[in-house]
Amino acid sequence: MSDTLVRSDPVPTSPFVSDGATIRLAPPMSLYSLRARQGQALETLLGVKVPKKIGETAGGIACLGPDEWLMRPPAGTDIRSGQGLPIAITDISERSICLIVEGPTAARLLSTGCPLDLDHFAVGRATRTIYESVEIILIRQSDDCFHVEVWRSFAPWLWTALTTAASH
Amino acid sequence: MSGYRLDNGGRIDRSRTVSFIFDNKVYQGLAGDTLASALLANGVMLFGRSFKYHRPRGIIAAGSEEPNALVSVDRGLGRFTPNLRATNVELYEGLRAASQNRWPSLKTDFGAINDRLGMFFPAGFYNKTFMWPRSFWDRLYEPAIRHMAGLGDAPTEEDPDTYASTYAHCDLLIVGAGPAGIDVALEAMGSNKRIILIDEQDELGGGALAENALSSWLERSTKALMDAPKVTILTRTTAFGYYHDNFIGAVERLTDHLPDGDEAPREKLWRIRASEVILAQGAIERPLVFDGNDTPGVMLSSAARTYASRYGVAVGKSVALMASHDSGWHDVFALAKAGVGISAIIDVRDTVDVNLLDQAAEIGLIVKLGHSVIGVSGRHGVKAIQIAHNDGSGIRTIACDALLMAGGWTPSVHLWSHSKGSLAWRDDLGAYVPDQPNENARCVGACSGNWDFGKGAVIDVLPTPMDQSRIKAFVDFQNDVTAKDIKLAVREGFRSIEHIKRYTTNGMATDQGKTSNLNGLQIASTALAKPVTDIGLTSFRPPYTPQTFGALAGHAKGALFQSTRKTNIDRWAEENGAVFELVAQWRRARYFPKAGEDMHAAVNRECLAVRNSLGIFDASTLGKIEVVGPDAAEFLNRMYTNPWKALEPGRCRYGLLLKEDGFITDDGVSARLAPDRFHLTTTTGGAARVLNMMEDYLQTEWPDLDVWLTSTTEQYAVIALQGPNARKVLQPLVEDIDLSAEAFPHMAIRQGTICGVPTRLFRVSFTGELGFEINVPTAYGRSLWQRLMAEGAKYDITPYGTEAMHVLRAEKGFIIVGQDTDGTVTPYDAGLDWAVGKKKPDFVGKRSLARPDIVAPGRKQLVGLLTEDPNIVLEEGAQIVANPHQPIPMAMIGHVTSSYWSETLGRSIALALVAGGQDKMGQTLHIPMPGKTHKAKVSSMVFYDPEGARLHV
Repeated sequence: MSDTLVRSDPVPTSPFVSDGATIRLAPPMSLYSLRARQGQALETLLGVKVPKKIGETAGGIACLGPDEWLMRPPAGTDIRSGQGLPIAITDISERSICLIVEGPTAARLLSTGCPLDLDHFAVGRATRTIYESVEIILIRQSDDCFHVEVWRSFAPWLWTALTTAASH
Repeated sequence: MSGYRLDNGGRIDRSRTVSFIFDNKVYQGLAGDTLASALLANGVMLFGRSFKYHRPRGIIAAGSEEPNALVSVDRGLGRFTPNLRATNVELYEGLRAASQNRWPSLKTDFGAINDRLGMFFPAGFYNKTFMWPRSFWDRLYEPAIRHMAGLGDAPTEEDPDTYASTYAHCDLLIVGAGPAGIDVALEAMGSNKRIILIDEQDELGGGALAENALSSWLERSTKALMDAPKVTILTRTTAFGYYHDNFIGAVERLTDHLPDGDEAPREKLWRIRASEVILAQGAIERPLVFDGNDTPGVMLSSAARTYASRYGVAVGKSVALMASHDSGWHDVFALAKAGVGISAIIDVRDTVDVNLLDQAAEIGLIVKLGHSVIGVSGRHGVKAIQIAHNDGSGIRTIACDALLMAGGWTPSVHLWSHSKGSLAWRDDLGAYVPDQPNENARCVGACSGNWDFGKGAVIDVLPTPMDQSRIKAFVDFQNDVTAKDIKLAVREGFRSIEHIKRYTTNGMATDQGKTSNLNGLQIASTALAKPVTDIGLTSFRPPYTPQTFGALAGHAKGALFQSTRKTNIDRWAEENGAVFELVAQWRRARYFPKAGEDMHAAVNRECLAVRNSLGIFDASTLGKIEVVGPDAAEFLNRMYTNPWKALEPGRCRYGLLLKEDGFITDDGVSARLAPDRFHLTTTTGGAARVLNMMEDYLQTEWPDLDVWLTSTTEQYAVIALQGPNARKVLQPLVEDIDLSAEAFPHMAIRQGTICGVPTRLFRVSFTGELGFEINVPTAYGRSLWQRLMAEGAKYDITPYGTEAMHVLRAEKGFIIVGQDTDGTVTPYDAGLDWAVGKKKPDFVGKRSLARPDIVAPGRKQLVGLLTEDPNIVLEEGAQIVANPHQPIPMAMIGHVTSSYWSETLGRSIALALVAGGQDKMGQTLHIPMPGKTHKAKVSSMVFYDPEGARLHV
């Protein structure tokens, strides 16, 4: 019966294209919140390297805080739960969607509502921040490409805000 | 010279004529004009009526310091902007502008009677006169005064324009693109710095735009800056506020100067963070204070020069100068060179630089040193001036049609003051200049007091032989404050400029006293016989000039005002006719009316469906927190009132959360998924607050606990399936969970799959019926909902909304935190004693529960109320009294918190907070409502199935 349920998304599935920037919904991926006092504990459990500096990413894992990492493996990836260890691993794959903002004016577009200095936000950086009143996680994939993770219920607002700003 | 347009000069485009309308009359101007320069070129001197006395007023300045010439510009429906300075309104084809504060017309204004009665309107008049009786204020005084005294009308239609906004970062922000600002930009241009250069005018140059000798330098400099890759130039942009850590707010006007800018955003808000800020805001010329100084045609000397040099407009055909500063002389020389007729130079000083005298003689100008203007003839425009020697002798009249004032200069320290930079007084300038910075900022050019305008004398009021108490010598033109008002304030005992300012309203108009503050200070200083520095300085606050609400709101209007959070199932509800309500930021389906049904009928039907067969409800908005770590149970045990450590994995528990004060702040059912993993639920509105509160305790009180909190509210779509047939519908869809009552009892959780997707399946009930809450990955919510609707069709499955949910829970006496509690209700007050772990050593709020007033008898307690007439549904919020015959005001002993019609019970039910309520069971209380006082009996809060038999099936 698994084929009977279908997914539905909070934003249009066709990209919004403007001069200089495209905004589109990323395909689903898995998201895990990894929490531990030390990154070492996670490395031991998961057999991966985790970045130690806040704001850095490595191998699809972003360090968001002193005890917080965000892991974004391909959709459907199951990882160990860490039961019994001083670790918290929580599946948040469905909590947010990811908008891909790409193009030569992508940074300028995001700056319309994000207070960060994106000239000093190098490729590979990731951080929790805001776009106006909405919390996002911003990840710089390349000079011209950003991933914007936003909670599902805020996604329509963000989509409208970004596409409006892009059309100005 | 045709009219007042000079034959040569100016930056206007003489080949492009522009038609515009002012007060319903059509005029012609030139491209590059402002409304002010175009009207002056047409010989218009009268621009408006003053605020209090309705005196005729003309133009005083050429820039944003203009206090008088406020106009309304009408750009079509909803695009009406009042109180714009004519000096800042760029001319475009078809511009429609109107003067303000006059009726029936600018020339004939009935309100001008105030001017004749002026002696009856001294400073503080309104405060003194319209105080008593108090009841007259709201209905008579305030509306009447508001109508009489005023600025332009506020627009009434919704603003159809859009507004953009952005953040920007730079290494160097330069505010002001006059010569000083441009020099800084040119110097920094070659470095690797990101530079933003802001100017409020339509082109770079500032004062240089009125200085013909600088025009080729300006052209070269502008080009160099435009070509520089790291320089962002923002013209028509006002830096209106300077905030902490070099954060500057600026508004860029994008379309107001265009005849048709419908599609594009009107303005753009720039929120700029700069490493270093250079303020090059320049200086503002100071008017002189003498009788009749507000007559149309009396203006700042530098403004007249700007009109001639920049716009090719003569402000008069025979122009006189009243100076206390050299700069006025230079202006007049420039005017004479441009072909403007000069009638005389009057200077209050006994001696001036011999070079000035030589130049004046060379041009053949009449010069009167040691003289002052003591009067101005002409009501709607200057016809002549009276002058006298400073000792009062030798009064004579000089014919002229414009009078220029050169009273020295005031550095524009507005933004510097916003930034909390300190100021130092300079006696030689009679002005405050920037001193020590508070941010990484500095001032350059005229706003730092460095200028090459020459020297001047600082003078508060020009000498006059007239009776000082009879003359109107204006200090604040916009708020109609005269020199004698300030002297009166001092006589009445005001000593600090902060108080004098508020009493007289000097400097409190929309121009924030750009032309009046320093003159006001000087007059107060003289009257108090104290140095200026002893009477203080008023603060400048943002905005530098008035800004539109639209720009500040940016795109936060309409659909983008605030995000309306919607669940994955919301779209289905919308397609199926749901009526929505807002709950916190979420919108939720309130009920699903069928054709012809009102809310009452729909809710009755939905409630009966749940009780008799099956209802389906979107519970996705419930807050969810995943609590994970070895100390998870210990943490929850400390947070919640009841014990959590012994809860077995697979079981659920109702959790009650108090604040430190012992009052209920949230509740919810939570499940233990594994020894170290809990799935918490919170109220919809409490989700963020509860997470913050828990995180706060974890980080500050118990940092030793190995437990972490993650919001999972949006990870799951939650569908509540409630009613006797719930299990039958679920059975065929769930593959790996035994749903039998024995294997899966009430208040349990199982994990498995439903329709092939993973689920956390709760057996819980907020309705009192057999019920399940199905958590699935959010994206599958709608799809699963539709499967359940199809599967449940044979049981007449009925979607129900929040209204039916409220009724169903009230029938069972389940409280809603925030409706039945109000932040003053303890678990005991709410009848939730059973949820308090008596043996627990501690939990948040425990200590407060032992406070004397918490354990004292007579506290308001939650009880049920059953009206004597079962058809009466009490109003929620209605007050409750014990005896309706007592005199008013009656002693109110509580209020109704929840009240509904229960179709299941065939009567009304209510919950209420009543003082000592739990001891009043069976007693009759009285609820006064409009029209009638109703009787109701105090009852248990559980109205339906008190044994809970329907839950455990």
